[in-house]
Amino acid sequence: MNTLLMLFIFVPILSVILLALNLLLAPKKADEAKVSAYECGFNAIPGQTRSTFHIHFYIVAMLFLVFDLEILLLFPIAVTLYQVSTYGFSIALIFFIVLTIGFVLEIGSGAISMSTPGNN
Amino acid sequence: MINNNLTLTIINLLINLIDVLLVLLPVLLSVAFMTIIERKQLAAHQRRVGPNTTGYYGILQPFADALKLILKETVIPSQSNKVLFYLAPISTLIFSLLGWGIIPFGEGLTLSDFSLGILYTLALSSLGVYGILFAGWSANSKYAFLGSLRSTAAMISYELILSSAILIVILLTGSFNFTTIIESQQAVWFVVPLLPVFIFYFISILAETSRTPFDLQEAESELVAGFFTEHSSIIFVFFFLAEYSSIVLFSCITAILFFGGYNAPELFINESVINLQSIILGLKTCIFCFLFVWFRATLPRLRYDQLIEFCWLNLLPVAVAFIILVPSILVAFDIAPY
Repeated sequence: MNTLLMLFIFVPILSVILLALNLLLAPKKADEAKVSAYECGFNAIPGQTRSTFHIHFYIVAMLFLVFDLEILLLFPIAVTLYQVSTYGFSIALIFFIVLTIGFVLEIGSGAISMSTPGNN
Repeated sequence: MINNNLTLTIINLLINLIDVLLVLLPVLLSVAFMTIIERKQLAAHQRRVGPNTTGYYGILQPFADALKLILKETVIPSQSNKVLFYLAPISTLIFSLLGWGIIPFGEGLTLSDFSLGILYTLALSSLGVYGILFAGWSANSKYAFLGSLRSTAAMISYELILSSAILIVILLTGSFNFTTIIESQQAVWFVVPLLPVFIFYFISILAETSRTPFDLQEAESELVAGFFTEHSSIIFVFFFLAEYSSIVLFSCITAILFFGGYNAPELFINESVINLQSIILGLKTCIFCFLFVWFRATLPRLRYDQLIEFCWLNLLPVAVAFIILVPSILVAFDIAPY
């Protein structure tokens, strides 16, 4: 049991205490208008709240996945650069250049843009 | 024999608890005062006076705010997923506060002198995105959902830049340990050789904490309040605390990574009873908190697609270029840290 584990235990307890304080002390008067969804005066249609969304968000998430993993895979060479010196660095450079070619393709093809160039 | 062991364990637990409280209570106080600092400083930039009624010069304003929000009614939308609705802000606050576990306030003076401290920080900032995603999804409202998608996309895009900047700092240090990073800046602070890296690191931090010019979720004319439209009172307090705790935490990490942390010229040997080094770290953190609010007072907001394009088309090539440049220089002149 070291201090970091105690931090991991204490912080959730703190947030639960705050939540319990509110549940104890706050009034609870729910009426129909309060618990409905907020749409600036309109009635929310239940089927439309989680409908389809733009493919752009999915593309951003996929690209983030690839590039984040690439940067994470470069962390070991960041701490061992002295030991692996030129040979190790050239291997990492080849890895990075292959992924940079993919990056150039992504920029050039316009994958990150919400509107197609024909729109506006 | 067993009694002796039990006493030792309990004393150990108590000391650990006191350590945790010794870091967390000032952190919570500093987060509370950060809110009043922001309001007073924004007011000063705009040539007016901020809150000045509660307490002398408005000092007690954050406590009045917290008290009001605790005593307010938590309205839960009828069509939301109740479990996720409560879980999302709690997890955001937890991941935000857990980041303080490895900040050194002196040489090796942390809650945990973790040898992989940088990875811990990056992992927590990546996990923080989950809270935003679940908050918008669970509220089952069109605007909250769209707001959370946009906030999530913005946060994960700028996390790439953050990881790249931190990677370059680690290249110059040779270790993930925060204390080692600070000690290896005794010759020169990392902001001097890595000034462009500091610039895009600071931009990515502004985006990670959803501050202007990247605060599209607070643009009330666009999506009401973004992903926390449906969250009220104590739930909102959790998001609020998490955001300001991230601001103070990232200011502290900026001071540690680029500006020498707790070291100051002529002051690096601490022989007095008072821990002067933590005061130095506190001063540097304050300077960066000031910078955060200054940016908010000065800059207009970026539109969402401008924001995404800025990250992927303008910042990420610069980050990639520096990732190739810095180790090339280190290997070419044989100055890699060991």
